[in-house]
This record gives sequence, C-alpha cells and structure tokens, in this order.
Amino acid sequence: MEEFEPNIIGFLCNWCSYAGADLAGTSRIQYPPNVKIIKVMCSGRINPMYVVNALQQGADGVLIGGCHPGDCHYSRGNYLARRRIAVMKRLLEYIGIEPERVRMTWVSAAEGRKFAEVVEEVTEDIKKIGPMKKIRRENVW
Amino acid sequence: MVDLKNLIEITKKIISREDVKYIVGYKKGTYGFQIMPAFAYTPEDAEEFIYSPLCSKNLAVYTILEEKLPLKRGEEEDKRKIGVVVKGCDSRAVVQIIQEKGLKREDLVLIGIPCRGVIEPKKIEKMFPNQTDLIEVIENDNSEYIINIGGKTHKVPKNELLSDVCKSCEFPNPPLYDVLLGEEVEITETEEFSKINELDEKPTEDKWEYWKEHFERCIRCYACREACPLCYCKECMADTLNPQWIRRSVNLSENTAWNIMRAYHLAGRCISCGECERVCPVNIPLMELNKKIERDVKKMFDYTSGLDEEEKPLFGMFKPDDPEDFIL
Repeated sequence: MEEFEPNIIGFLCNWCSYAGADLAGTSRIQYPPNVKIIKVMCSGRINPMYVVNALQQGADGVLIGGCHPGDCHYSRGNYLARRRIAVMKRLLEYIGIEPERVRMTWVSAAEGRKFAEVVEEVTEDIKKIGPMKKIRRENVW
Repeated sequence: MVDLKNLIEITKKIISREDVKYIVGYKKGTYGFQIMPAFAYTPEDAEEFIYSPLCSKNLAVYTILEEKLPLKRGEEEDKRKIGVVVKGCDSRAVVQIIQEKGLKREDLVLIGIPCRGVIEPKKIEKMFPNQTDLIEVIENDNSEYIINIGGKTHKVPKNELLSDVCKSCEFPNPPLYDVLLGEEVEITETEEFSKINELDEKPTEDKWEYWKEHFERCIRCYACREACPLCYCKECMADTLNPQWIRRSVNLSENTAWNIMRAYHLAGRCISCGECERVCPVNIPLMELNKKIERDVKKMFDYTSGLDEEEKPLFGMFKPDDPEDFIL
C-alpha cells in the first residue's frame, strides 16, 4: 500500500515566514513537499474560517506562520493572530478535530532551518493521525 | 420578586416621557406557557406588562432589530429613546452591544430586573405536555414554582425546571440599568457548567461522535442566529455569496462549519443567556460550545464579556504575555 501523503496548507506571512521558507529553498535545505504555501500579508490577516475551510476542502492539516512577537511588520498583527488561533484551536479540539491538525509557528526571515524542521515535524504528526475525513466536503463539482 | 404594580407604574412613567418612543417588555401569551414580547407606545399599552419566571426571552435583541429607513427630504430623524425590560443577562447583552458601538447608551432606557432564574420552556413543556389554556407560574420563597393547571396546584422544586444556564449564572443583577425593580439578588454559589468537563476528558473520537450526531441533525434554519442579541451583523458571513464561506447544502461538513463559525463569532462576546439553545428546533446543545469558549477565554486572557462599556473587544486587543504554549 502506498504511504499516506498529507496535504498541508501553510498560511505564511509575507514578511517573515514566507521569506523564511524562501531562505530554506535558496539554502537547499530538504523538507517534505507536503506543505502547500499560501502567502498572506500578515498572520493577522488570517480569518480563522480559513482554517475550517481548508480542512473542508481537502487539507489534512493547516500550518500558520507569522513573525516572532514584537517583529510584526504591522506591529501587532501576530499578537492578534495568536489570540484568534488559540481560541479556534481549542474549539476545534472540543468538537473532536485533532489539535495536531492546526499548528502555528513563529519563523523569522533568517530561520530557513527552523522552517524546514517545523514542516518536517508537522508532516510527521499528520502522517501518524491519518487523513482528515470528518468535515471533508463531499460534493465537489 | 418583582412587584407587578411597580413594573407597570414605572413603565407608564417612562413611556409618558416625551423622549421615549416605545418600551419592550413581556406580556401574556395565548396558550400554555407562552410569553410574548410586548411593545408599549402609550401608557395604556403598559397595562398588560407582566414579569414571571416564564419570561426567558432576551429582549435585548429588539434594540438592534429596529429598521431605520432612509429619511425623506425635510424629514427629521426620530431620535427618541427605546426602553427595554432587562434581566441580568439581557443587560450584559446591551453592555456588549454598546461596547461594540452597535448602540448608544443615550438612546436606551433600561428597566432592570434582578433575575432569580428563568424556566426552561422545553423542560416545563415536557413535564406538563399539551396545555391549551394559559397557565401562570409563580415562584415562592422556598425555591419552588407554583403552577396552577385546571384548578389543580402543582408545586415543583425550582431546580427541576430552572434553565441550565441560569444554574451557572454569575451575574443575575443587571450591570447597567436606569431603574431597578426590587432589590438586588444575592449572588449565591453557582454550579459549574459541568457538561463541558465530562466531554473535555473524553478522547477525540468520542467528542467527534457526540458532535457529529448533533450536527447531522442541524437543519440550518439559523434560528440560533436570529434569536441571539449579539448576532446583528448587517450581512452575516453565512449569507455572503462572494466569498461563499458556507455552501447552501445541508450536510455534515457545512453544518459543522456553520456551528463552528457561529460559536467562534461569539467568542468573548457571548453573555450566556441561552437563547440559541432554547430556540433550536432540533435541540443541539449550542450553549456547550459557547460556554467552552467562554471558559477558555476566561482562563487564557482573563476576560469576561458584557460587564464594562469601555472595555476593548477581546480580539481587537492583545497582551504581550498571552499564552503561547501551542506555538511550535
């Protein structure tokens, strides 16, 4: 049987995490190709419904990347995102969606190595718990 | 205990004022244990106002439902105030709306009622089913409800009929009011909303089984949204077509997304009046979701909704030392 390859959606902020992912690429650091990156201008831009919608539309996990606290390009976006995701994560856990599926991380533009490590960790975790079937949208046309 | 004469007298006095448009209160329903909202435009209308433990409706919802049509040329805006009869939780809803700049304090006259808990309509209808006559319920001092049905008097312990949210209510007295009827209720020790703890300890699969069973039943009538005093967005995310956050089809996936969205939008705003659960036609325990978020928010950010008009909204502010143990 083929090994399960998860789909992970990565919402990365334009200024830190995306640049971090870019650095990982230019530095030729190997990391799993499972993460599909969507660039957003700031982690505070991420509507928590993005997470639910991603899980509905075929993602097995969601990774959210922002600047380190205090480093946000818009000075407070990552702090706001931290609150929002903290509440959303706990709500999803209460409803019965594994908490490993929604992950948040701080990656700066200089941390290409850290980004690769985070992606590796998330991919491994999601491989263990298997595909997301609970709230997958059925009638895709 | 609320003195009815006092209530009517005060309502009449307020409605006679020139700067008050109308007052929303409760009046008798037409059958069974029904209670209806009443709108008093004149002092005579105020005669039919009542208050009983059956008055579970949250009237704060009417303050934001008023439709304001565009003005004709030369017409002046009606700046008169709206009066509302508020219990503890209703008053918190009003505070929350004022905090979000949905209403102005000076546009409202609040008649506060210290609340001793309300009866859950679903429970009392189960206990005395199929009543066609209008029935009154009185609360006595020994924590009992006296219910007169067809000449027969039933005494029911308060705990059996009391709404679940009222059992764990921490704010029975309205935090914001212009007139308070009667004396403030002493705040006794409250039970914890224990249903959450039971489910919280179960493994993930059991949690999902529990909620799956509920969400599959959801018919997405959006009654929870309409009854909620804090769901007053001009255009709801569930109604937008571009982007379409939730598809129209009624299935498990979309129902779950809707229920997550509804609960999440009330994070740090829900004032636990329990209206959503009361109006749900398929009995989904929506208050469990709301209470769960309320408890998380209290624990993580030390934030309670609906107490201070000046406070900033939960998701509009932050503290540098918010918990971040979940971050990789």
